Amino acid sequence: MPVETEAPGEGDGTRRGLGQYALRFRVSGVAGFLVLLCVAFALLRPAFMTPGNLNAIISNAAILAIVAAAQAVVLITRNLDVSVGSIMGFSAYLTADFAARHPGVGLALLLMPLVIGGALGAINGLLVAYGRVSPLIATLGTLSIYRGLTYVYARGQEITSSRLPHWMNALPDMRFAGIPLLVLIAAALVCLLAAFLNFYALGRRMYAVGSNVSASAFFGLRTKRIVLFAYTLGGVLCGLAGFLYAARVGTVTVVLASGWELTSLAAAVIGGVSVAGGSGNVIGAALGAVVLATIDNGLVLLGIPEFWRMFVQGSAIVLAATADVIIAGQVRHSLRARRRLARP
Amino acid sequence: MTAKLSAPALRIVGLTKSFGASNALSDVSFDVGRGDVHALVGENGAGKSTLVKIITGILEPNAGRIELLGEPVRFATPVEARRAGVAAVYQDPKLFPHLDVAENISMGAAPVTAIGAVDRKAVVARARDSLARIGVGIDPHALIAELSVAELQFVEIARALTADLKLLILDEPTSSLTPAEAEKLFQIVHDLRDNGTSVIFISHRLEEVALIADAVTILRDGRHVLTRPAAELSQAEIVRTMVGRPLKGMFAERAKRKPGRELLRVDELTREGVFSNVSFSLRAGEIVGMAGLVGSGRSEIAQACFGLAPPTSGRVALDGVPVTPRSPKQMLGLGLAYLPEDRDGVGLIMPATIVSNITLPILRALARLGLIDEAAARRIATEAVETYRVRTTGVDQIVADLSGGNRQKVAFARWLSTRPKVLILDEPTHGVDVGSKAQIHEIIARLADDGLAILVISSDLPEVLGVSDRVLVISEGELVAELDPSAVNQETVMMAATRNVRDAAHAG
Amino acid sequence: MIRKLPQWELTLVVLTIAAGAWSAYLSPYYLSIDQIADSTRQFVYPGILALGLTVVVILGEIDISVASTLAFGAVLFSKFSAFGVLIWVAAPLVVAACAALGGLNGVLVARLGLPSLAVTLGTMGAFRGLAFILGSEMGYTNFDDRYLFIGSEYAFGPVPASFVLFLAVAVGIGVLTHWTVFGRRCYAIGLNKEASWAAGIDVARLKIQAFALAGALAGLAALVWIGQYGSARGDNADGAILLVVTAVVLGGVDINGGRGGILGVVLALFLLGTMRNGMGLANVPGPIQTIVLGALLIVGVLRPVIVQGLARVRRLVLSRPAIQSD
Repeated sequence: MPVETEAPGEGDGTRRGLGQYALRFRVSGVAGFLVLLCVAFALLRPAFMTPGNLNAIISNAAILAIVAAAQAVVLITRNLDVSVGSIMGFSAYLTADFAARHPGVGLALLLMPLVIGGALGAINGLLVAYGRVSPLIATLGTLSIYRGLTYVYARGQEITSSRLPHWMNALPDMRFAGIPLLVLIAAALVCLLAAFLNFYALGRRMYAVGSNVSASAFFGLRTKRIVLFAYTLGGVLCGLAGFLYAARVGTVTVVLASGWELTSLAAAVIGGVSVAGGSGNVIGAALGAVVLATIDNGLVLLGIPEFWRMFVQGSAIVLAATADVIIAGQVRHSLRARRRLARP
Repeated sequence: MTAKLSAPALRIVGLTKSFGASNALSDVSFDVGRGDVHALVGENGAGKSTLVKIITGILEPNAGRIELLGEPVRFATPVEARRAGVAAVYQDPKLFPHLDVAENISMGAAPVTAIGAVDRKAVVARARDSLARIGVGIDPHALIAELSVAELQFVEIARALTADLKLLILDEPTSSLTPAEAEKLFQIVHDLRDNGTSVIFISHRLEEVALIADAVTILRDGRHVLTRPAAELSQAEIVRTMVGRPLKGMFAERAKRKPGRELLRVDELTREGVFSNVSFSLRAGEIVGMAGLVGSGRSEIAQACFGLAPPTSGRVALDGVPVTPRSPKQMLGLGLAYLPEDRDGVGLIMPATIVSNITLPILRALARLGLIDEAAARRIATEAVETYRVRTTGVDQIVADLSGGNRQKVAFARWLSTRPKVLILDEPTHGVDVGSKAQIHEIIARLADDGLAILVISSDLPEVLGVSDRVLVISEGELVAELDPSAVNQETVMMAATRNVRDAAHAG
Repeated sequence: MIRKLPQWELTLVVLTIAAGAWSAYLSPYYLSIDQIADSTRQFVYPGILALGLTVVVILGEIDISVASTLAFGAVLFSKFSAFGVLIWVAAPLVVAACAALGGLNGVLVARLGLPSLAVTLGTMGAFRGLAFILGSEMGYTNFDDRYLFIGSEYAFGPVPASFVLFLAVAVGIGVLTHWTVFGRRCYAIGLNKEASWAAGIDVARLKIQAFALAGALAGLAALVWIGQYGSARGDNADGAILLVVTAVVLGGVDINGGRGGILGVVLALFLLGTMRNGMGLANVPGPIQTIVLGALLIVGVLRPVIVQGLARVRRLVLSRPAIQSD
């Protein structure tokens, strides 16, 4: 009995398309969804479409985009970090406190949150990569340790904006060509990160580790170091984001940025970064942040209470994860179905 | 120095490897000539994959040495081996599904530009180059997840080519390929050979061996039997040498009884791409053997009957009642049990105790008012341990601490605790010592005498012939022969098992 | 199932006694039966959550949405109270509703094959969000006194009723996991999912049941919460998940599934309770307590490494230099 063969290309088109969509064009999916959202809100509330409002949205999204990118970096290696909020808070508070005690400090201050954030991220990385602790547990633990340390350091004090350097307070209001500085910084960072992840060997290895960790050993990749690097890089980004957030809110409290872990994960997952690692990119994560900011803004304009936000974020994570699993299943299915096809 | 120039591509001397008490390789020595396609042939368990793992640096030998082009080498990791020019391609390619072909080929050693970024153009060019060298037209920008199994293997080979490849090892490369794809692969092998790269080709398909091999090495039970130019060996001779064991007369006495009613009937069972149109039946008191090569689809047929993996089409009837196997729970309840091939991974729960393993499928029956009757569970386990003569310190012993043979008996006990009418055993004596083997055959015989219908899937030819009342031979997913064990010998079975049904593709 | 050495449980007992001694040293108020008994009240609702989570973890999954389910349950209960529904009707309804939420987690994990971490991360937000939406900004505090029974009354002597409830639930779950068919199957799945499937266990159904159980217990914990604090709001038990996960992990339950038991979790809760109590009496600031909790969580997960290390040390110390065998 001859083995059945199918004419090449027959039935292939759609299945291959789904596969390509899954791994390549997820970002366009988010962009498309964003456009849809904007159209929907604009129709419901014309006030949505004013330049002032749009500006507010991307300003709100800017800092979240940086944290979402940090989360994406870790997710790509098939890990996660729920201590991002605590890293932000700790870095922000220590930096603000230092600045308050040393008035007249210049831009060199920026080094502090980067170093602190990096160190905190590195601790996470050491626990996960070398201590082989499950990422959830490790970062759940550091979430409280870092936040606790912030409390201990602060001794209940909050730092008012009057004690912060003038340039730091002015930061959120600065604009270039009408675009807020924060947005430019975020955009630049995300682009740099995207370039790094796409064009540099280390960035590609991060994807490799997340894609197939056992093959990584076969290829001679230093899996542990790569994971440590991912967490450290994420920490640095969180440190910076914390600093910018402090500049934005003015008063630096001990609870700064609590709860950002869920939001950053939601943004990343909506943006197509898979919890299973190996796929998605920071641009998608940044777009996911914009999506969340847009939804927030729209909800406010529609008069829907803020309580819905948590529900929306949580549901978004579940829906996005479901969508990714379904798509991945389609890819696998199409792969198996093509096993015995003859090809020219 | 002339010695080096004429040194063989690979020289293996006295290689020995043992795992605990069993010898995977014993004093294996042979040469692979330069620019040769060298076939490595042997039954399942002969030691081929162990040998490959040692050559590529995954395992360390207990004794012996390896020389590559005259230089003694010892690799600690596959990466080292690859750098020295030795690469292996396995049946399950280890690639990164989320990345594209070009990246996979260069991962770990990508060329960089002046600013330290990956030189994408060079990566793509390198990929194109390698793929062209093996004459395969895969788009370097395609994602690995989109490729077919054959294309994955070609990418793996292309990847191996990027180093200065001296020796390429292909482990059962054609088992998942269509005839056309296999043709392509042979073309690649020929081209490599013509360019001076040596190839070790592991295959069960003897007609392929005849087609492309320059020399053949046969291993049996971990020992080297012979190495000869392919032209000097016929397929029949190869089979004979592979199998070469006298039939042991140590199989259990069977009560001469006529088989009873039909307990399992399988009609035109098909799973697309795995097996097709398989039909057979099992009767009470019968032991039917199912022979065939590893990968011929025997396990998959059994798993389809058991509900582990649903068939695409076909009918299954249990004791006259048609069923659609959907889950092991369903089939166990109906009286069909399957002892999986992967005994330690799927057949048993290794970190658990004997008593919990044995009683796992029958927990419901052991419960009174929802609570497990511990005493009853231990009674059943103790009985089983006695009946099957399991050597253990007690029913609370962790199964992982038992020897292979005793673990197998515990696995038996587990499935038999469900009192099945039909029992399918997949490689029941794989990794079992000789003494336990005999005991297991005894158990099987007694079960058949008690009226069970038994299907024994086995790659151990003497076992298949010694234990069965009749033998089904599966080749490439199809039932190709039904043999009377008393009328045939091992070679006949092997010939049937290696028969390539698509002879049309290989005319000469 | 597996007769794990009670080594870890013994260690927990020793540590608890040590913590108690240290607490007594730190504060003269510690060593009083009334005080200690009363202090157990704080740990009843996290304890019940931890018991539910334990079953899920034994299976090899994780559920970090239990605290959010509690919040939802509390708010739902407050709605019933506002409508004057009898407590004997409202309570089971709340538990059932929370079980349904848990079941949703289970369906997403078992039928759709989603990773439980991602799912419960999402439902953690979604359920709490629902609680916020359903509840009011101020929170509801007009509970009938009868509703508050479970949280405030004493069973006998100084022992709070809620503590008795906790013990009862612990015994119940303990029996469930160690002596019932359901429990055995959970352990089996946690150790080896494929082998359990091949042995005829309906893995998907069991997972859904386990998640639903965790949800139901969260609902029960919500009732305790109401009884204790008398208020229902969307942010109830926010952040409690840290304590709950720590209790499970510290109790010796392997995060990968298949190992550990209720006894360990209960002992871990006692240990955590003693430490918290002692620190509180000694006026150790809340944030430091949080740090200690986080550190304990990590230590809990590193426990296998620690145990291995200890075993190696013990071997080195006890072994005599032997003739080099083959």
